[in-house]
Amino acid sequence: MKDFFRRNGLLILIAAILIALVTAVVSALLGGTADPFSNLANVITTPVRNAINGVVNWTEERYSDAFAQEQLKQENEELKKRVAELEEKEREYEAALQENERYRNLLDLRPKERSFDELESAMVTARETSNWASTLTLSKGSAQGVEVDDTVVDEYWNLVGVVAEVGENWCTVRTLIDSDTQLGGQITRTGGAAILEGDLALMGEGKLKLTFLPENSQLMSGDLVTTSGRGGIYPAGLVAGHVEEVRTDASGISQYAVIVPETDLDSLRQVFIIKEFHIVE
Amino acid sequence: MTTQDFCIKWGVYGLALLPVWFCQAFVLNRLPFLPLVPMVLPLAAVAVAVLEGAVAGGGFGLAVGILCDVVYFGTNGAMTVGICVAGIAAGALAQYLLRQNLVGCLLCSLLALAGIDGVRILARLLRGETALRAMLTLAGQEIVLSLLFAFPVYALFLWVYRRVPKKTVL
Repeated sequence: MKDFFRRNGLLILIAAILIALVTAVVSALLGGTADPFSNLANVITTPVRNAINGVVNWTEERYSDAFAQEQLKQENEELKKRVAELEEKEREYEAALQENERYRNLLDLRPKERSFDELESAMVTARETSNWASTLTLSKGSAQGVEVDDTVVDEYWNLVGVVAEVGENWCTVRTLIDSDTQLGGQITRTGGAAILEGDLALMGEGKLKLTFLPENSQLMSGDLVTTSGRGGIYPAGLVAGHVEEVRTDASGISQYAVIVPETDLDSLRQVFIIKEFHIVE
Repeated sequence: MTTQDFCIKWGVYGLALLPVWFCQAFVLNRLPFLPLVPMVLPLAAVAVAVLEGAVAGGGFGLAVGILCDVVYFGTNGAMTVGICVAGIAAGALAQYLLRQNLVGCLLCSLLALAGIDGVRILARLLRGETALRAMLTLAGQEIVLSLLFAFPVYALFLWVYRRVPKKTVL
């Protein structure tokens, strides 16, 4: 041990502690903006990430072309049926919408409005490297006006997650299944509000849970859960997922629902960052 | 050893770290047949520490720790200290208690990974998370899977170790 102290061992340890302290303090002070080390490293490795992403996407496409044709045909048939069903529903929806508008005019209510003023398209360039978090690295950052807490959705307006860290030309999104995720949810069938919460045990299965369920809520498998938008930070009405089952927690007192995200986090390539939104309910 | 030799030696170790970093950041998290993502970067620090001793292990661990803080999300500097301490401890253990070989490296890797995941679990418990069983299960699976990668990582750094000057001024 004497040898260790004689040969600058203590200095190395002190340097490590100092660097760690500086990183921790800077991270805390910047509040979501990436610390200089992370920012520099991610900016430098951007071309590597983009290149790897390109190669992986190309390989996956070739694989799909070669081996997944039968599956695609089947999927296509199912989608045609689904489109027919949705077209029928849309006709009913149009009629209901017009009726609703007439009632709103009659009662002199403010018209419903849901606009996403600024959307930023971004590519998923990297995925989480540890098993303790679920994050995605995107190709847009502070240079494009992306900020911490911006909501990220896929092309079908399904919730992907929330921006947790922003660098110059990249950002890290904490996905909705991450164990630190917590946002207001709403069960569309009943209108009941609850909390969408990540869970470490469910994260490995690609799921999350819905807690603080409304009293006497009769949840059914397949019930859709959207964001409630309470608090005004995240927009309302984004589809988070559907109920798979209802379980009782370890204490045996309360129940929670297991939610399967509507978005396919494993195969996401392109996402959209909602930089600004305006909603009138 | 001259300063030039010193720079060449640690430059080569740095180059050997590149494929490990590349695998950790871009390859291992995309392999669909792996149930979890193995932690290979800390194994690099441990392998060098076992081969080179406590002081060199601490220095290399410091560099790997900074890299880990960049690669792993939300660690906020904890990895810099953690991997540096792991490097020092692994180096000292291999020098004075165990042997500077693969078995020593495997034992030190096991301790280092258990230490890292132990701190992670402790931090989560302090934050109010209660899913201890889930955390322990995840940590156990992660450690076992990561240990499988200790073999290629140790082989890589042993290959480098046999080709660089032995005495260091550190």
